[in-house]
Amino acid sequence: MNPIGSIGTLYPSALARADAPVAAPKIALPSQAGAAAAPTDGFTQMLDGLVGAVDAKQQAASAATRKVLLGESDQLHQSIIAMQEASVAFTMMVEVRNKLVESYQELMRMQV
Amino acid sequence: MNLISGIDVTAGALNAQKTRLDVVAQNIANAQTTRTAAGGPYQRQVVSFESELMRRAGSTAAGPVGNNLQSVRVAAIAPDRTPGQQVYNPQHPDAGADGMVTMPNVNIAYEMVDLITASRAYEANLSVVKNARQMAMKALEIGK
Repeated sequence: MNPIGSIGTLYPSALARADAPVAAPKIALPSQAGAAAAPTDGFTQMLDGLVGAVDAKQQAASAATRKVLLGESDQLHQSIIAMQEASVAFTMMVEVRNKLVESYQELMRMQV
Repeated sequence: MNLISGIDVTAGALNAQKTRLDVVAQNIANAQTTRTAAGGPYQRQVVSFESELMRRAGSTAAGPVGNNLQSVRVAAIAPDRTPGQQVYNPQHPDAGADGMVTMPNVNIAYEMVDLITASRAYEANLSVVKNARQMAMKALEIGK
């Protein structure tokens, strides 16, 4: 019987000798860490993709505007529309970040 | 990622109306041109549009929403074959043996009407862009 189960993660070698069942959490630990790492990875990748997409929109808008300014194209409306799209995408990214920071702060305010 | 859907369709329409405005400008500019590279007086040009199926490059798993939206593009810029007005002007370098000059078949009144139509159509499409953007921005304000 081990009333403080989490102590097994702190002193696994010391408690493993004294109490055999501690071995179970010790074995479960790597799999738990792996399960926790996978969603973080996915979310990081998703955020990375979002930032990449927003950046691609900004680049496209800037390329279209440059073309108009250099006289290579007369698609003034295309460049303005691309700029607006980039602006909306950026606003969405900022909103996502705001939500993320908000949830983090909510977690930090949690009473323990 | 396409946050403002339908804007590609409108962009095509804007482009088409701009082409139409360019052609109207060409017609008005050449309203008195009696000599062209092809020979004879200038022929009024007319723009015709055709619908264009938009293909989404990044189709998402969300569904086929907007996959079959139809945009518009300029199908052809064809000359108007109406015969031009004959004017008696023997001093004109392009006058025939009988002193008659064939003027271009451009009617300024028609061109002005076309100009106003193109301008209003452009404005209508710009309103679509504006409203689509406003809708996206309003959607982002949910929860504020």
